[in-house]
Amino acid sequence: MIVSLKFFVYAFVAWCMSSRDMEDGDDPRHVNRRQWLSALGLAGAVTLAGCSGNGGGGGGGDGNDTDDGSDGGDATTQQDVYATASAASFTTLNPIYNTENGAGNAIARTLDQGYTFDENNEYVPLLYDMSTEDGEVWTFEVREGLEFSDPYGEVTASDFVYLIQEVHQSSWANSAATTSWQGVTVEETGEYEFEATLESPSLLWPESYDPLLYPIPQELLEPYVEEEDTEGLQEDEELLELQFAGNLGPYVLDEWQRDAGTRYSRNDDYYLQDVDELPDVFNDAPYFEEAEIRVIEEEASRLGALETGEVDSAAIPPEQVESYQNSEEIYVNRIPQPYNEKISVNMRDNGWNTGPGNMFRHTPFRQAMAAAIDKEGLIQGVFRDFAETHFTWQPRFSEFYPPEEEIPQFGVGENYGSEVARGLAEEAFAESEYDYGFDGDAMVNPDGDQIQLDIYHSAGQDTEQLMADFIAQELGENLGIDVTVEAIDGTRFNNEYWTTSDFPTPETNDEGEVTEVPDELVDTVNGEEVEWTAPTSTNPGPRNVTTSQDWDMSVVFGLNTYPRNPITNNAFFDGPTAFYNPVGYYPGFDAESLFEQAQAATSQEELADALVELFANLAEEQPYIMLAFPDSTVGYREGLEGPIENFSNGWNLPAWRYE
Amino acid sequence: MGFGRYVTARVLWAGVVSLVITTITFLLLSAAPNPDVQQAATQAALQGGNPAEATERVRELRGLDQPLYVRYFDFIRGVYTLDWGWSESRSQPVLEAVGSALYYTAQYSIPWTILTIILGPLVGVYSAANMYSWKDHAATGFAFFGYAIPNFFFGIILLLVFGVWLQFIPVTYNTDVAVFSVENAVQLTIPVFVLVTGSIGAVMRVSRNESAEFQNADFMKTAKAKGVSPLRAYAYHVMRPTLVPLSTTLVGQLLALFLGSSLLVEVVFAIPGLGRLTYKALIAQDTNLVLGTTLFFTFVAVVGNLLEDIVFTVLDPRISYDDR
Repeated sequence: MIVSLKFFVYAFVAWCMSSRDMEDGDDPRHVNRRQWLSALGLAGAVTLAGCSGNGGGGGGGDGNDTDDGSDGGDATTQQDVYATASAASFTTLNPIYNTENGAGNAIARTLDQGYTFDENNEYVPLLYDMSTEDGEVWTFEVREGLEFSDPYGEVTASDFVYLIQEVHQSSWANSAATTSWQGVTVEETGEYEFEATLESPSLLWPESYDPLLYPIPQELLEPYVEEEDTEGLQEDEELLELQFAGNLGPYVLDEWQRDAGTRYSRNDDYYLQDVDELPDVFNDAPYFEEAEIRVIEEEASRLGALETGEVDSAAIPPEQVESYQNSEEIYVNRIPQPYNEKISVNMRDNGWNTGPGNMFRHTPFRQAMAAAIDKEGLIQGVFRDFAETHFTWQPRFSEFYPPEEEIPQFGVGENYGSEVARGLAEEAFAESEYDYGFDGDAMVNPDGDQIQLDIYHSAGQDTEQLMADFIAQELGENLGIDVTVEAIDGTRFNNEYWTTSDFPTPETNDEGEVTEVPDELVDTVNGEEVEWTAPTSTNPGPRNVTTSQDWDMSVVFGLNTYPRNPITNNAFFDGPTAFYNPVGYYPGFDAESLFEQAQAATSQEELADALVELFANLAEEQPYIMLAFPDSTVGYREGLEGPIENFSNGWNLPAWRYE
Repeated sequence: MGFGRYVTARVLWAGVVSLVITTITFLLLSAAPNPDVQQAATQAALQGGNPAEATERVRELRGLDQPLYVRYFDFIRGVYTLDWGWSESRSQPVLEAVGSALYYTAQYSIPWTILTIILGPLVGVYSAANMYSWKDHAATGFAFFGYAIPNFFFGIILLLVFGVWLQFIPVTYNTDVAVFSVENAVQLTIPVFVLVTGSIGAVMRVSRNESAEFQNADFMKTAKAKGVSPLRAYAYHVMRPTLVPLSTTLVGQLLALFLGSSLLVEVVFAIPGLGRLTYKALIAQDTNLVLGTTLFFTFVAVVGNLLEDIVFTVLDPRISYDDR
């Protein structure tokens, strides 16, 4: 109760802040009559809010975005200080152990990584350039002139090789990049060159970010490596304070104040100033004398800081974007994202708890559900138009997005509505061995009772709840299904509904080879016997192996669709035994072969052919009922040059500046 | 029992109390599932890694693979050697974390406490002296308003008005400014005001009712008859006995408010203080830090109660150390 009240209040205040009239550019220190009257008006509004109490909760945004801003202090101007706001503080700034996005941004102010991708999704070498002929052997050419701080000297290939072999590939260090370098053979081939050989070729290896490295001095690591001292490595002050960064980043870290943020000063020796292949704008980068990341946890405070100029940028919840669009001080960018919104339908034995069998297992039924939900209506009503329709497992900006004519577009145009949805459902009924059908408007089970399903959403997530309500309404109107919307804690859903640690395991010998697979881990899929030799908590076995709680549908988790390296999606769809398959989806096409084809491709054309075919099939099969790709909406102070409405936004951060 | 022996006994008892509280907290935390482990597993799954390996890696990193008693005795040994361990969620020693958070919390909690202790009884006695007049009603209304309005809500509203609209104060707290500077005073005005209005209500109401009892007492009548000025009569003969029962509620109330209120106010005003430190330590299940902050609050509570008992005897000489 208290929590929901809190969210309501925050949302209300955030709305108050955003709806402020900002048309005049008065001296901020001067209070005019209008401001006083506005303040008085607020008191009335507060009273009303307290009395009516009809808020729908707030939040909206995910609250975790890291955005940009500048300090509006008396002694400095926007051009002097480039500050950003972070919703969360950082666990560690040790580059070897950091796994957080926010801390990654804090480290990036001081320390570049190996490479990045520009607005055209082109590879941009920073610390090193990568090249390959066959996708299997990759050559890393380290840029010359990279310097660590004293006493560590120049960055050479041996620093990277030592880091990979002695830390990332060691059994003791448990670094964040451990899994990225498993099975990769690394060899130093020159002072500024080393080679990495993969177990199997991968043309999109850089796009997987696996070969992305921070430069760490070998001498700094050596004492810890000799002692195998994990704790020491984690707690090393030079690593935590990034004191070794030399000319390797645009700024020098002056202070990390836990819970308050980080402060930096300009690095006059930044190596990118002298790099010819980058745009000229990098020659004078960075353009601010100081930089700052402020931890501001409360969304209303972040938006307030954006409005007053204390920060230059903040994530803006979709429902508030409109109020900023006419602002003369703030502009809003809409940045497409690869994280999707979808309905997970439970095809395992503990799904479809409304009658015999499981209709979710029939492709036409999933298509019927997709056709019953108005995607454009959902985007307009729930996401305020700040989302893209989602038809297949890639966002539209992906270069592997199949041609529009090759994929069915359920839920829009003539593929939306009661008639088309019911037609597809009838096809599914015909496939089923049970006597499902329609009785008037209602979909009924063999006993003649209306189909009743539940759909779970995360408690406290308003956008999700709205989405679940919309889905329930559409499935009710267009398919005659009675859907109950249920709120649940995300962790509980994950532990009891989505994953399980209680599943059968195959027997293995001393070498770890599977010797016997129990019957529960064997199923017939598309006429062939399939064994689950490596069950996981997210795919514990065939459909008869289930989690502890029954559930039908869920919108609790969205997933990444990996547009840069779509082969990564093999974790979801690489056959029925795919690593991450909580819903028990069995592809009706040969997904494994297509992934193999993509993996073995030796040219971009071969790769694209395999992936486009894969995504066309996934659009047809709807393993999850795909709905939308919500955009990230970010407000920036007027005059800030650099932000782009592109997934690569921020790739050229050191070159951001005011006009 | 003499004063020295009494204090010694209380301090020893405080040690036992802190040990019991710390042990219970440690056990409860150990019994709860660790969200870091869950998160690592989910993250690994989403990235196509192995959740079991990721889980194991995090368990090793957090030292959760050690037996419970080993972790407990490690901690207890650390507590008494002032080695409170390493905060995993902040990557710094726990003592340093508590120290730096306390530095910021003290900057608003000291003025908050002083103002509450001074203003609460003063307004209460003033209210009692003018009972049922408009002054009493105004003071009572003010007290109830401050008590009723949630601090975080009031804080955001004031931030909106004075920070965003009028721009008298910065919206975000600046840790750069000197402690004793005008900038710091300005940026702490609203947080302190919010906290004082939140805590003054109860103190004011209790002191109003208590002092109402004494203002017609025989000794007050005698004082008035002797021609003592009203200010002196209220200060010496009403305020003093009023403070005796008040002191029992005061410490407890302020301590209870300390953590809850300061968390929400710190979140709203982005102050990196103890409330946020403790809350985030709990959420992240940063065992060392949770136990460190628990120990700190236990220490404050125990010392607070000790001071309260000593203040009792100072304010009312009829109370002795005997029979305790």
